[in-house]
Formats: sequence, C-alpha cells, structure tokens
Amino acid sequence: MDKGKNKLIQLYKSKKPYSDYIVFGILLIILPILVDLGIVKYSYLTTIASILIFSIVALGLNLLVGYSGLISLGTAGFMGLGTYLAAYITKDLNLPFEISLLISVLVPMVIGILTGLVSLRIEGYYLAIATLAISEILRKGFVEFEAVTNGFSGKQASYPTLLGFIELGRNGSFIMIVVFLIGIMILTYNLINSYTGRALSTMRGSEAAAQAMGINIFKYRLLSFAIAVAYSAIGGVLYMHFVKYTYPNAWTLTLSLNLLAVIIIGGVRSIPGTILGSFIVFGVPDLILKRLPIIGDIDGAAYIFNGVLIIIIILFYPLGLIHIRNDLKKLMFKFKKRKESYSEQA
Amino acid sequence: MNKHDFILKIEDLSIAFGGLKAVDSLSFEIKEREIFGLIGPNGAGKTTVFNCITQFYKPDKGRVFFKNKDGVVEDLVGKRPHEIISKGLVRTFQNIELIRELSVIDNVLVGSHIEFKASLFSQLFRLPKARKEEERLRKKAEEVLKYMGLYHIKDQLVAGQPYGILKKIELARTLMLNPKLIILDEPAAGLNDTETLELMETVREIRDKLNTTILLVEHDMKFVNNLCDRICAISFGKLLAIGTPEEIQANEEVQIAYLGKEDE
Repeated sequence: MDKGKNKLIQLYKSKKPYSDYIVFGILLIILPILVDLGIVKYSYLTTIASILIFSIVALGLNLLVGYSGLISLGTAGFMGLGTYLAAYITKDLNLPFEISLLISVLVPMVIGILTGLVSLRIEGYYLAIATLAISEILRKGFVEFEAVTNGFSGKQASYPTLLGFIELGRNGSFIMIVVFLIGIMILTYNLINSYTGRALSTMRGSEAAAQAMGINIFKYRLLSFAIAVAYSAIGGVLYMHFVKYTYPNAWTLTLSLNLLAVIIIGGVRSIPGTILGSFIVFGVPDLILKRLPIIGDIDGAAYIFNGVLIIIIILFYPLGLIHIRNDLKKLMFKFKKRKESYSEQA
Repeated sequence: MNKHDFILKIEDLSIAFGGLKAVDSLSFEIKEREIFGLIGPNGAGKTTVFNCITQFYKPDKGRVFFKNKDGVVEDLVGKRPHEIISKGLVRTFQNIELIRELSVIDNVLVGSHIEFKASLFSQLFRLPKARKEEERLRKKAEEVLKYMGLYHIKDQLVAGQPYGILKKIELARTLMLNPKLIILDEPAAGLNDTETLELMETVREIRDKLNTTILLVEHDMKFVNNLCDRICAISFGKLLAIGTPEEIQANEEVQIAYLGKEDE
C-alpha cells in the first residue's frame, strides 16, 4: 500500500512539470461538478472560464515578450478576429467546429506573420504602436463589415459540436477549455525548452550573439508572432463558443493592456506565473473583492482595489508574483529549523 | 605546393563610416592551424575587421576568402551574418554576449544551434527525434564544459557569474561545432594574470586538439607575443606590418604607432 503510494509520488516527481499541469487541469475539471452540486456559484464558472481563456492568450504574449523580446499591443484584435471567424464559420456557413477552429487560427496567423514582417524594421515603442494600429484596423473591421460581423450589435454562436455529433453543453465547453489550456501549457513548456526556445531567448538577449551562432532573426521573429497570434486566436475561438457572444468593443486596447499586465504581474518567462497573473487581473475583482463587505457593496470599488493590489504586487515582486514561491519556501525552511531547534532544546 | 594553404585571406578590405576610413585597403592571410594576432592602438579598426569578416558589417570594398569545412574556398562578402557559422567560422565578442536568463549549458548549446534539425512540430510534442537530438548535443555540451572546467556550474544561470567564467563560457560556446576558425575579440581583457596564463594554455590546446585556426585581437602584448605564431599590426585601418612576434616588436613603424615618434 505504502509502496504503491511512494511509486506514485516518484512518478509525479519524475514527470514534473507535466504532472503539475495535469493535476491543475483535473482540479479545474472538478469545478463544473461542484457547480452542479450547488456548492459553487454558477457565475464563478463563467469567470474562471474566461480567466483560463485569457491565460492561453497571455501565454502567447509571454512567449513573444518574455522570450523573443518583442512587444504587441494588438493581442485583443487578434483574439477578436478569432471570435468573429469562429462565429461566422459555424453559424453563417454552418461548417463543423473543427474546420472553424483551423481557419479561425490560420487566418489570424497569416496576419500575425505580416505583423512579424513589420517587426523586422521597427522595435520597442514603435512596434507597440504598429501592433496597436493593426488591432484598431481589425476592430474597425468588426464594426464596418456588417454583412459578416453584424456591426455594433455583435455576433452570436453556440456551444461547440465536436466531430459533428458530440454536442457540448456548458460543462463540456468548460472542460474543453481546460483541455486546451493544459495542452497549450505543455506544448509551450516543450517549446521553450527546445532549441527554438533557446534561439528565441538568444535573439532577445543579444542579437549579435544570435546571428553569430547562426540564428536567423527573420525566421524566429516571424515564428514568434505566428505562435503568439495563434494562441490569441485559439483563445478567441474558445471564448466565442463559451461566452457565445462577441461585439467590437470587447476587443479594445484595454484588453491588450490587461493581457500585458497579466504577464508582468504573474511573471515574465513563467508558465505558472502567466496563469497566476490571469487570476489576479481577470479573477480577483469578481471572485474575491466583490464578495467582501463594503468593497463589494460599492459599484466599481472592486476594480479600484484590484488596481491598488496590482501596484503593491509590483512593488514587492517586480519580477512577477510567481517569485513568491521562493520566499514561501524560505519561510517554510526557517519555520522548520526553528521547530527543530525548539525540540532539541526540549 | 598547395595553392590554398590559407584558411582566411583578406584582400583589399575597406570600410568607411561617414568620412572615417575605419579599415583601409587591408590585406592579410592566415594559414591553417595558425594562431594569428591582430594588434593596433585603440581605434585602429581591429574589431571592425572582425565585423567585416563575419559580415556584421558589409565592407565597401574588398574580399574575404575563407576555406570552409569542405575545403572549398569562397568569398564571404555578401553572405548574411547568420550564414557564416555554417562555413566553420565562429566568433566571440569584446563585450561578452551571453544570455543571462539561460543556464551555462543552455548558453553553450546555443553554439550548436545549426546542428539541430528537428521540426517545430517534433519539438512541440517532444517526439523521439527531437529528444534524441537534444540528448546527443547536450552530452556534447557537457563534454565541452568538462574540458573547459565548467561542468560543476552547468545548471547555474549565467547571470551573476564572475567575468573570467563568462569569458570561458563564451569560448566554450564556440567549440560546439568543431570550427575551422575561431575569432576571439579581446579574450584576455579583464582577466587577471593567472587567468590570462590559463587562457593562453587553453587556446593553444584548442588549436592542437581541435585542429583549428585562431584569429585574435588583444591589447595585452605579453599575451599576444607569447601565444601568436604571427601578428598583423594595423593603425588607423591601415596595415603596418605582418610577421613573427619578434619581427613585429622590432618593427619601427609599429613602435611609432604605439609609442609615438621620438623627436630628433
């Protein structure tokens, strides 16, 4: 009995961090069950679903900013494009979810690669502005191409049907989001620990070294943008099939900035940090602050307090809240030691 | 007689920045398995020569012939900077260019970037091909680190390592591909005497063991004189003299360039 347990622990430890990701996924999948049992409120599920979707998008942005050293303020536009394409293809064209997913990711990717071409000429603030412009062009497109986008009134879609016959409900869609997130976390982990990941880091750290070592900057910049945009678009598709409604003003600069905040607060170059950041930016106001007395009673106060909280986090953990891990470990270590010395004295 | 006993031959190389001629009709030739030093007073254009060879700068005029890994002589001028390493020519930098956020071994692994062939797909899914390739080259990186005496810190981050270690890591990174020619930009700068002596031994050993050629820029004259087989002295981008260390030391023009002219 004990031996089997030990083996399991060993397996868990040897497969890190995949095992962590999968356990995280399993915990999340329990949530809809708790909602059905009436233990957790339904609104929590919706909030957490959007946190998870934004985590996927932010992972792409983290790859772009943290690893490749590029910047984008266009994340929201690409995510929006994903939602519109998903809605148009499944609702208007009546094509299956799988085809919609493919097209809704590929089209933004092509535009993302074109953005990457821009990044070869400009950097830093200028690139930020250029990507912002692309995002605004997309948003304007959502408003103006009424025949496809339905203009200001927005567009609707339904829960996805997999393989043409598995109709997912609310819970099924939630589980699908979790599966996508965990899958993407694993793929991202693999990527950043591969030679491509090293090439991206090298490109960011020293362009001269990258070139001298045979890293084609052109290729890797385009690749970074392609991946980041693909993640945004996947996020968009998942959003469309869970929230079931999209409208132009959901995809403004505010969202792009929030996503940037996610990775800075959570931890640049950190996968769990990204998830943590997403919980703080998109979750804390609705899940925690609004439930508190006084803060929760005043309209908008939760968001103000979240702003204050974020400032405090950045003051103490400028490299991301995920680094609180090390401090907690140290604290635990101290605590253990003190306990030991007490017991020795006794 | 072998017509091409050189590994690198620079012909009439010139580059100007605005009105300043940083390198002016410079020609020299490096033989295979030679340790060749490029010296000159500050601002003589030494690093610029390096940057012209590795195509970081596009020379205005001149040619850079290099005998590549397959023994074929080709002109490097016009190639893109990232294409150079695949010819068998790798360099270090004057101001260490390492990636702080990566571990020591990962930094060294960047040196064999062009040897990785696994597709993006197989990297994403960690397919056996990608895994095996990573394992094989990681082993090689470990060997290189052992050779350089850095194995014990292989998993530490580069950030925070002392200067002498950083120089060693950068040198280790150049060894991953068994290059034909290694270009070292001020390898001894910032090292103390013991470290400099050690470096001298290492460079010599690398040449002998790996059968490679070394071109280096250095200010430390003792280092250059003790290590190099031949030296090329330049001043204001122009060639002063080429010869053995003794010849260079005795050369009047070189003395003038370094120490100034004596008044009669």
